[in-house]
Amino acid sequence: MRKRTILLGIAAVAIAGFAVAAGVFFGLFQSSVVAKDVATPLTADEMKRLAPRGAYIATVADCYACHTAKGGAPWAGGMPFQTPFGTLYATNISPDKEFGIGNWTRADFHRAMQDGIGKTGANLYPAMPYTSYRQMSSEDVDAIFAYLMTREPMRVENRKNELAFPFSIRRSLAFWNLINLHGGGFVPDDKRSAVWNRGRYIVDALAHCGECHTPRNLMQGMKAADYLKGAVIEGVEAPDITKEGLTRMGFQPLTLAQFMKSGVSALGSMTNQMFEVVHFSTQYMRDEDLTAMSAYLFDLDSMPATSPAPPAPAPVDVPAQVATAARATYDNLCAGCHGANGQGIPHVAVPLLTNVSLRIASARNLVHAVLHGIPAQRFPGLERMEPMPGFADLLDDHAIADLANWMRARWGGQQPNLTAQDIAKLR
Amino acid sequence: MTIETKPFSLSINGQKAGPFEVPQGMMMLDFLHEYLNLTGARMGCGQGICHACTVIVENKDGSLREMRTCITGAHWFADKQVRTIEGHAKHDANGKLVALSPVQQAFIEHFAFQCGYCTPGFVTGATVFLEQLRREPVSRAKLDEAIIAALDKHICRCTGYVRYLEAVRDVALKTPGLVVG
Ligand code: FES
Ligand code: FES
Repeated sequence: MRKRTILLGIAAVAIAGFAVAAGVFFGLFQSSVVAKDVATPLTADEMKRLAPRGAYIATVADCYACHTAKGGAPWAGGMPFQTPFGTLYATNISPDKEFGIGNWTRADFHRAMQDGIGKTGANLYPAMPYTSYRQMSSEDVDAIFAYLMTREPMRVENRKNELAFPFSIRRSLAFWNLINLHGGGFVPDDKRSAVWNRGRYIVDALAHCGECHTPRNLMQGMKAADYLKGAVIEGVEAPDITKEGLTRMGFQPLTLAQFMKSGVSALGSMTNQMFEVVHFSTQYMRDEDLTAMSAYLFDLDSMPATSPAPPAPAPVDVPAQVATAARATYDNLCAGCHGANGQGIPHVAVPLLTNVSLRIASARNLVHAVLHGIPAQRFPGLERMEPMPGFADLLDDHAIADLANWMRARWGGQQPNLTAQDIAKLR
Repeated sequence: MTIETKPFSLSINGQKAGPFEVPQGMMMLDFLHEYLNLTGARMGCGQGICHACTVIVENKDGSLREMRTCITGAHWFADKQVRTIEGHAKHDANGKLVALSPVQQAFIEHFAFQCGYCTPGFVTGATVFLEQLRREPVSRAKLDEAIIAALDKHICRCTGYVRYLEAVRDVALKTPGLVVG
């Protein structure tokens, strides 16, 4: 008798659980921040008026970079994203009626941008940063929509995602959203200045900085508790860009804004994905928006007129044997471009003496550059950096560990605790 | 001001040389020019871009590697076997020129170079490429693509690329075993 009750109890819990799961699965608990009024289409006049503004918002939101494959048709998607669950491909957002968003309504677009639901009602994968765009103002979403509709339609079919089961089932994202998709639209903090609030709006909503710079939980949702504290993405570290992190790297508010505009500074050059961000997005941002971002990231209500560079970190001692080995490697393979004393060559190679990659706690980015090199880079204006060769086949794990330890200790004030095994793992 | 020096020896064009006392940060190109009077490797950009300064390092297994000497320290070449542009042609015991290397000969026959500034680099690059082909032959259909991939990094300000390509293709096709099918 008792056994039966227990069994019945378990069955009841299971059924209830299943019902809730099914509810989630079919979107019962899906919250929406999309306003009702978007059901009314924009008039042709409104579209025309909004499009120029949309061009700018779309630039700040960096839509083009993700929705255009390298060498592919503009806005036609196809750009691959490696995720722990498989490869996703960005979709065609040109106004093509068959493959793009040409048949989308204003409401469809809002739902995609802010709720992560596509036109057919299927969930979008969160590689599309709807968790951040959720905070975008309704008018900014309209502006992007109006702008995209002025682009040339591209007849390019969307590529099929290559995802492992169960991630291949889009409905499973309903569970993901339940846990990871929070909050409504952007609410300004009226205790802070307009500049700070504008900066926060750009950082959190438009530029979706947190998508790369905030560590992710097991389910790949952003960990709110570690907001902007840095994360590894595609093998390199998007560093800690909290006020503390930025200061440790040697930034100050004015240099940060300048760095986002130009992509180069005494602290190094933008590489990897951030290079693309400068290339397609931040270089075109208005100065006042860049300074607003910087003010917010440094938690300031107004930008200082000048700010002295933070002092260089104090060098740390390394064992003599490490120093000798590293110095030889440095003189032979690095000094030709980065200078005998790490001073760099203007327009050719960045200085290492003041370089961020040596100051951040993780040696990942430095080792990545030593192993794989950095392609030639063109920056806004006439600035460029020559390609850096990779040394994976010239240096063994020991030599790289010694080199990295010595440089980080000498110029970055970091403990020389990298081992050859650490390098082997990063290879 | 004192300059820190360190001794090292190497093999250059088949002959042991050294030990030399050379400043720690001296680049190989300067060492070749100033200490050995081997001035064939050219200083073009000095930034690792043009590849006019390349020399060959002969690995123990017989494979060859191109190295840019403008951005590589002399000491990196310690105990290595290095071939500069001066080491390609054959000379007799009296130092008289007997024969150019097949690559050099082909470059002349094809009028491949004009001012010749880039030529030592192209000879080096083409030689390394042909040695690579001996180890891993390619099909006729893939040959041009392979030449371009191998020599792409070499810059010729006189834009003699097509003739260089034709010359290297010629050597590859005439040398047995480099091209299959
Ligand atoms: S001189 Fe060495 S690459 Fe140009
Ligand atoms: S022949 Fe003049 S640079 Fe090549």
